[in-house]
Amino acid sequence: MAGIKFATPAAKPDEYRNVFVFLETREDKLIKPALEMIGVGKKIADKVGEKLYCVLLGKDIKKEADEAASYGCDVILGAESPDLGTYRTLPYSRIISDFVKEEKPNIFLIPATRNGRDLASRIAVSCEAGVTADCTELDIEQDTRILSANRPTYGESMLAEILCKKHRPQMATARPGIFPVPEKVKSPKGEIRIKKANIDPSLLKKEVLEFRKKNTVDLTDSKVVVSGGMGLGKPEGFGILKELAGEIGGVVGSSRPAVDMGWITRDHQVGQTGQTVRPRLYIAAGISGKIQHIMGMKNSETILSINTDPGAEILKYSDYVINADLYEAIPALINSIREKKKSPAAAAKK
Amino acid sequence: MTLEIIVMVKQVPDKQEVVIDPVTMNLNRSLTRNVTNSADENALEAALRIKDKTGANVTVVSMGPPQAETTMIECLARGADRAILASDRFFGGADTYPTGLTIAATISKIGKFDIIFAGEESSDSSTGHVGPGVAEFLDIDQITYASNVEYEDGHVIADRELEGGTEIVKVPLPVLVTVLLNSNTPRMQTLRRKIDATRKGIEMWDHDKIGLQPEWVGVRGSPTIVRKMNPIREKERAAKKIEVRNIKELVDELYEKNILKLEEE
Repeated sequence: MAGIKFATPAAKPDEYRNVFVFLETREDKLIKPALEMIGVGKKIADKVGEKLYCVLLGKDIKKEADEAASYGCDVILGAESPDLGTYRTLPYSRIISDFVKEEKPNIFLIPATRNGRDLASRIAVSCEAGVTADCTELDIEQDTRILSANRPTYGESMLAEILCKKHRPQMATARPGIFPVPEKVKSPKGEIRIKKANIDPSLLKKEVLEFRKKNTVDLTDSKVVVSGGMGLGKPEGFGILKELAGEIGGVVGSSRPAVDMGWITRDHQVGQTGQTVRPRLYIAAGISGKIQHIMGMKNSETILSINTDPGAEILKYSDYVINADLYEAIPALINSIREKKKSPAAAAKK
Repeated sequence: MTLEIIVMVKQVPDKQEVVIDPVTMNLNRSLTRNVTNSADENALEAALRIKDKTGANVTVVSMGPPQAETTMIECLARGADRAILASDRFFGGADTYPTGLTIAATISKIGKFDIIFAGEESSDSSTGHVGPGVAEFLDIDQITYASNVEYEDGHVIADRELEGGTEIVKVPLPVLVTVLLNSNTPRMQTLRRKIDATRKGIEMWDHDKIGLQPEWVGVRGSPTIVRKMNPIREKERAAKKIEVRNIKELVDELYEKNILKLEEE
């Protein structure tokens, strides 16, 4: 039972300073949720006059380190090794835990991506720290330097504010798509500290045999999202949504059940375990509105739902409701939009 | 050598029936029906498939109040061989740290383990942190968000579903695997097994039996506390009803209000 140890409170919380963020990379690039961590991490660090440290691991990370600096990181703490080219739990958690033990950050933020969640709780246990999962609001109390970590709970109906008073660092994973990507700074002056990592071979037993890349759709950048759910009744139903999306410069999204049915690939999924979107217009066709889906789209500016069930949950979240068969409503929508585009006003704009 | 497989399960409130106490803002547990966390059923199924092929021993482990016994019986009725419920008033109010500690200590107490399965996350707390926490306490490797899990010659080979694609990994035993919700079809319980399980009962272990100090676990052993709960106030939306014959007017309105823009198409 060598590893079984309870969480000892930090002896001297005052010794813990600065904000750590973990910068996840994919194919030698910082991913968007990593940039979001820089934004919120910087805000928290600035509020208490501390520094933002970015933790970055990889095979060759000069380029990513420069990019991190360009967003205003004060210190880039890097580890380089040919064995770190692909994320693997054990070498990553060991190296990062060692950084934490050396530098003693007050706060450590990690994106709540799948690899981020894979990592966060290993570091928390290793460093005897408290961690709050999947936060949507993060702030720091100026006088106590205590992190206010807020996460939705009970099916997103409540927001729980969670504090970690005695253990350090105060860790949180943050939901992707919630915090804004920061502006680049004019003259980056981050200090880049990259060390060569020597990794114990016992940590490298996991072999990554293959990565089957999906042609992923980034739904988060689009102004219009047209999503379908079980109400489509068949995989071909997504064809008509694609046609509608094509007319209005949108992308096609989906609920999780439609993905689980194999009607559309997972990269189109909106919701708790998919992407979080906030477009100008969100169209939900044949989606009942389970809370897991609502979580991923409720902050859209305008929401139009098309559903045969007049009691569907989605109605509560809709600005406009078409209570009809979507195979009737959507062709009518497409026709009206085409007509509109042929109108004199449209011609004048072009 | 028989493979020893552990499956971590949790009893959770039924999502469809969550009742929040308006005064305490906490879950009203007496009004909420309890069920087995769905992803844990997928984890158990992944374990039972390896049992079908190799004759492995499958032990389900949970931490929870005594009524979680129904979940444990259900797992036995689906095909697990042994069920241990870590149950003690000291375990209450635990965050992910002491939860991981309690389950890891329970698994250590059982002794030998080759593969530990867990669901990707629980439907009531949705952290996904307990599985990796247990792996860290036990100092073993892990495979999270697995959709397909095979055992082969001392190794687990699994597909991890990540945001950008599928990663296929191979890890020597022992390893902890968290299994995606809906990644397989859990088998039914059989009546015969259910009767046997109910007769035999499950094992209940308290902190003393597991070898944990009361101050290490539950609310006292938790680094984090909930300061307050606030209802999330959603934006009020009009839900304006549109008939199919009036869709033209709707389209006009969307363009007029710049919700749709001609120049984007």
